[in-house]
Amino acid sequence: MNDHEYDVVIVGSGIAGSVLTKTLTQAGKKVLLLEAGLQAGIAFDAEKNFQNYQYYLNTFYKAGAKVPNSPYPNIEDAQSINVLDIEKITPENKPTTNGYLVQEGPLPFASDCLRGPGGTTLHWLGSTPRMLPNDFRMKTEYGVGVDWPITYDELKPYYEMAENEIGISGDVEDQKVPEKVVGDKTIYYNVDRTYGKDYVFPMKKIPQSYLDKVCMNRSKGLKVELNKVVYDIVYSSTPQGRNSIPDPRYKLTGITWDQRAKKLVLHRKDDYEYQPVGSNWDPYTGQRCEGNASCVPICPVQAKYNALKTLRKSDPEYLAIITQAVASRIFYDKGSNDITGIEYKKYKYADSTVFETKVAKGKIYVLAASAIENAKILLASGIANSSDQVGRNLMDHFVMLTWGLLPEKGFPYRGPGSTTNISTFRDGTFRKEHSAWISPIDNWGWAWPTFAPGTDLSNALSEGMFGKKLRAHLNDVITRQLLLHFECEQIPDPNNRVTIDPKYKDQLGNYRPVIQYQSTEYMNKAMEAAKKVSDQIFKAYGVEDFTDYTMKNADAVKYNGKVYNFWGAGHIVGTHRMGSSKEHSVVNPDQRTWDHDNLYLVGCGNMPTIGTSNPTLTMTALSFKAAESILKQLEKNEDHGSTFSKKQFETT
Amino acid sequence: MSKKTPKESFLTISVYLTGYSQVDLLGTGMLDTYYNTFVENLEIENVTTYFKEVDQILDNSGNSEEKINEGITKVLFGSALVSLTTNLITMWYTGNWGQDVISPESYTQGLIWNAAQAHPPGAKQPGYGSWADEPIEIPTI
Ligand SMILES: Cc1cc2nc3c(=O)[nH]c(=O)nc-3n(C[C@H](O)[C@H](O)[C@H](O)COP(=O)(O)OP(=O)(O)OC[C@H]3O[C@@H](n4cnc5c(N)ncnc54)[C@H](O)[C@@H]3O)c2cc1C
Ligand code: SF4
Repeated sequence: MNDHEYDVVIVGSGIAGSVLTKTLTQAGKKVLLLEAGLQAGIAFDAEKNFQNYQYYLNTFYKAGAKVPNSPYPNIEDAQSINVLDIEKITPENKPTTNGYLVQEGPLPFASDCLRGPGGTTLHWLGSTPRMLPNDFRMKTEYGVGVDWPITYDELKPYYEMAENEIGISGDVEDQKVPEKVVGDKTIYYNVDRTYGKDYVFPMKKIPQSYLDKVCMNRSKGLKVELNKVVYDIVYSSTPQGRNSIPDPRYKLTGITWDQRAKKLVLHRKDDYEYQPVGSNWDPYTGQRCEGNASCVPICPVQAKYNALKTLRKSDPEYLAIITQAVASRIFYDKGSNDITGIEYKKYKYADSTVFETKVAKGKIYVLAASAIENAKILLASGIANSSDQVGRNLMDHFVMLTWGLLPEKGFPYRGPGSTTNISTFRDGTFRKEHSAWISPIDNWGWAWPTFAPGTDLSNALSEGMFGKKLRAHLNDVITRQLLLHFECEQIPDPNNRVTIDPKYKDQLGNYRPVIQYQSTEYMNKAMEAAKKVSDQIFKAYGVEDFTDYTMKNADAVKYNGKVYNFWGAGHIVGTHRMGSSKEHSVVNPDQRTWDHDNLYLVGCGNMPTIGTSNPTLTMTALSFKAAESILKQLEKNEDHGSTFSKKQFETT
Repeated sequence: MSKKTPKESFLTISVYLTGYSQVDLLGTGMLDTYYNTFVENLEIENVTTYFKEVDQILDNSGNSEEKINEGITKVLFGSALVSLTTNLITMWYTGNWGQDVISPESYTQGLIWNAAQAHPPGAKQPGYGSWADEPIEIPTI
């Protein structure tokens, strides 16, 4: 195995790694994919795939705490970051060392991801709004953060590829979100410009929930005031990666490498009908979202996109996969700075301490192990870091939650996690002062902050309620629960970072990521502002506010005398950012490291800022861009008589 | 004198404790599992005491719901038995015994989802677009 030389070695089979694997193998490039998780999770065989997925589903049913990682194996050899490990960090309890992360604080980083085949898309929600044009130029527009080295318009063709690959359901018209308020007028983004005239998503929008409609009906024409500016409350249906009814107007068939033009092409065919991609074990299962209301942590029918759907489209002729292979270090040639191999540890079975150390070799190397792990591997290898930016600028959305009881039944706990968002504060000049945010209406009641409805039951029981009275009480309370998110963009802060420390290693002797994380004035101000907005919205809805913030929560901040709590969004961003100069960034706009010509990084770590969008769609667009750059580089080398050896591909 | 078996008493009192009819409870298919879980998790003396109290409430009430409820509040929610009673109700509502989910089936049969006019997340999915409308009521006896 060590003697094989592949065209490309990719670490990680999440959406970033799978997009690369699919695109490169389909273009006839020999790929070796290293995946840390268990072999069972990758099964291409329908029967085995189904069995394994049913095992996940039953594990979820049986789990006491149904957190994002609850259905999936958490193995000692490649632990997953887990929200159950989060603890409050205090001077006496610092760093906290539960689980995989070592958290130095002052605040704990509150998001997780999944180490296993398919990665975190197995438990993502699947919301996929694009970033807004101004998100790419935060420094220029608002004087905060950094500008991206590419513009929205430059990324647009890749957004279309990502929307094709994931299979987005949505309504483009509804993406007409506010850009700013001038005087008493709201200026909106023009979708003909941002999306292009006649652009549609592959599938029609996922129906907005009954709860969404209750909220919208109760707040027609609502305006809120914030710092003396009056804002219209605007609702947008959320584009999402789950199957609905194909839009007959969608004519984009798929993505291929055009060898002559040296670019990826998204093809159009006038008589094309889009086919939703069903489950990995049976194409007829999961053709539509069936309303299981468990997208996080597991969609039982796989109507929701997951990365294994992409991986399965790879050309098997050109693909070798090694599972239970944990990448630990990268070697490079001190003269040329070229990467010469990736060391990985192949463990025997789950939790086993027995492993073999091997080296994978290719012409080009890609890290797709997710933002924190990518940074950690780079730090452990002492590479790609001439800018000193590796591991820095770790970001997430601070999710401030507000919850209350509606005066009428909205019937939550049904449908996908969220189908509508309030887009009013996604952009605006206020971003000079504090973060923007997106406000999804949560379709799953108070489950997140209060562990409802279980806690509604235990509260009622402790009041001595039982029988018909109990049943009626639960019906009254649970059906009226409303939860709003205020997902506030974090600004890159060099002190929010991933580091390593030889004191902290896992059972294979690999480094565990050490995290430092803090809130800033910019964030705290946003939470203060968001709560003021929430109060006005709740008043308009007639909602009785039950929001309860406490310093006891792991992520608590006090600002202007008030306590705010936030939760992690799962959006792990920024740890190896892209930029226009070698001095200030880790990768260039091609997603290639400035320091090593044959090393690419993919994933949300490349994003210089986070904006208010869930990051995966944008990151997937960037992954297509990376695939294109890699193909260009490979073919350039072939054209000019490669300096790399051209061994015949042998299957493993 | 009651001629009921403990399992019958368990079912009958469960109707009053949960607010669900016998048909609803039997319809979950969980009676045996829950009865066994209840009995297995208690000391044998406690099982005997619990069912003695339950039978007394049922036998002395002359089938009056009001009287049974009074008995439940006084005895089954009394300090000695309250934790058993709330565990029993919780079992029907969530499929848990304490913090533990009894089985995958018990989770999907939790009555709390029915009380909420919803369904257990990840099971009994109501179908495409169902969430866009009010839930459909399927009348029970
Ligand atoms: C609860 C939750 C909800 C979310 N919802 C949304 C949403 O609605 N919209 C959105 O845009 N985003 C969402 N996200 C974020 C989204 O899931 C991630 O951005 C995305 O899945 C990241 O993909 P990735 O391929 O970069 O990394 P991952 O999917 O994390 O994949 C990394 C892969 O690398 C493998 N790996 C890791 N370490 C090693 C190693 N050392 N050696 C070998 N292999 C390794 C892992 O096993 C895994 O296969 C959510 C996240 C969470 C946690
Ligand atoms: S609502 Fe249900 S069917 Fe739809 S995506 Fe979520 S889990 Fe899958």
